[in-house]
Amino acid sequence: MSKRGMIRYNRQETRAAWLLLLPSVIGLICITYLPMLASFALSLFSWNGLGEMKFIGLDNYIRLFTNDSKFYGSLLTTLEYAGISVLGSIVYSMIIALLLNRKVPARGFFRAVFYLPYVLPALAVYLGWKWLYDFNHGFFNYVIKLAGGTSVKFLDSSALVTPSLSLIAVWLSGNLIVIFLAGLQNVPRTYHEAAEIDGANSWQRFWKITIPCMTPIIFYNLLMSLVSNLQVITPALSLTKGGPGTGSYFMCYMLYTQAFKSHKYGYGSAISVILFVLIAIFTGILFSTSGSWIFYEGDDRE
Amino acid sequence: MSQTVTGTAKSSRMASRHRRERAADIICLVLLILLALIVMFPIYWIFRSSLMSNAELYAYPPAFLPPEWRFSNYTETLKSFEYLHFLMNTMTILVPAVLGAVVTATMGGYAFARLRFRGKKFLFTLCVGSMLLPSMVTLIPLFIAWSRLGLSNTYWPLILPHFCGGGAFNIFLIRQFVKTVPRELDEAATIDGCGFFRILVFIIVPAIKSAMIVVGLLKFIELWNDLLQQVTYITRRDKYTLALGLNIFRGSFNDDWSSIMCATCLSFIPGIVFYLLGQRYFVEGIVMTGMKN
Repeated sequence: MSKRGMIRYNRQETRAAWLLLLPSVIGLICITYLPMLASFALSLFSWNGLGEMKFIGLDNYIRLFTNDSKFYGSLLTTLEYAGISVLGSIVYSMIIALLLNRKVPARGFFRAVFYLPYVLPALAVYLGWKWLYDFNHGFFNYVIKLAGGTSVKFLDSSALVTPSLSLIAVWLSGNLIVIFLAGLQNVPRTYHEAAEIDGANSWQRFWKITIPCMTPIIFYNLLMSLVSNLQVITPALSLTKGGPGTGSYFMCYMLYTQAFKSHKYGYGSAISVILFVLIAIFTGILFSTSGSWIFYEGDDRE
Repeated sequence: MSQTVTGTAKSSRMASRHRRERAADIICLVLLILLALIVMFPIYWIFRSSLMSNAELYAYPPAFLPPEWRFSNYTETLKSFEYLHFLMNTMTILVPAVLGAVVTATMGGYAFARLRFRGKKFLFTLCVGSMLLPSMVTLIPLFIAWSRLGLSNTYWPLILPHFCGGGAFNIFLIRQFVKTVPRELDEAATIDGCGFFRILVFIIVPAIKSAMIVVGLLKFIELWNDLLQQVTYITRRDKYTLALGLNIFRGSFNDDWSSIMCATCLSFIPGIVFYLLGQRYFVEGIVMTGMKN
């Protein structure tokens, strides 16, 4: 505590603060940062969980990149799923939020309708959709046959399984709608009024006022849904078991099966580290480009 | 004279714009109704299937309304689907975990919002930074640690972690709310001789009750949907949660879609009831999670 006008910390206050934060600090250390470091360390070993741990350096990584026929498939599947799901959910929830932001009756009811899928238990949701996707008796194939097409194997074809699962992810993205809606209601009315006086039509106002004012919210939703969608595992765990082929062999599912089914803990950890790096790269890209497209109120930049 | 002319021109322009706006509102409403029907359709289809026999389900073309409302399907399904047992198991995990998360997140959020102490900035950065860390990276080491402690196949690994601040996001949420409580209240209480803990309990908690409910609801959904942790730690059948129970049930009734849809609908119920009870807070809370950055 030097003299140069720095804050003097009250001893009692400090003690109270650390006491109150004790559970959080334990959590940050014991269930977040230490296990993360342990994963990095474990990825350098070969270990089946029981026998001796053998240090093998980067062998796990080398094997993944050069000698695991399923790894690239898994990587691509994960990227495809995350890409479709993130873009789909953002566009879908933005459209619904824009509609809900108009003067419509029963707005609370509609909001509840679009949010409802999000509160249903995941496994039940996937089971229900499996029935809708069913090859012989599913609703979607009924519609296709009605339109004169032939039945489609939604979940049993390696090309269609990822988009089919992404569609469920979009359906489940009701929470994004509510966040977008809150953002829309915070767009200052005065901006719109001023633009209207200047003769801007609603299309121009949407692109020049609404969207720029929404960019911080879009960024937040984009970031959060990207991080969570890259970690997708539930649909594979509950429905598709990774198949067909590597059609739904998401990286998290690969990690899970390698670690808990084949008992290759080191190998599984290496996958988790790669996933970590992947997510870090994407967040890094988002953050580094954010300055150029996010508009903050009170900011003079064009 | 000229004034009235421009006046009427202006008002007619206003009126036409007003009409256009109204037309746009109606189009939006129609679109909303259509989209709402589409979004609700899968749930309706699942429910409708749960009330039909398998023979009716496999008929072509499929019936949009059940030919006969077979509520007896549910009593049949409940004979082999241990619904209440699984539900109790789920609640045994969820209730303490949610309470733990709410209490410890409130403690942490309050400390970050109000108290001044050395290392606060660093700790807060660590905390917010952990929001972006993929939780999958911690899965394997945590599993090994819990097994070493002899606690895999118990509920502890699913409950105890939530007593550790309830996740960075929730701490952050509470902090933002505490910041909206006027500081004068704290100061008045300090003058009356209240310590930090009493301020938290008697001033802050009543003021941010709705935020605490939001944290509880979000935590509830998060755990409710978290199949991975349950699959990883629970292997004994008598300990199965609703999700695991449903999974097993599905496995043993392979093509009996009528029963499977019954079990699915039964699993929907707690979520829907919970949502209807807490809907106001859900919306309020999520509104604020997105806004208060």
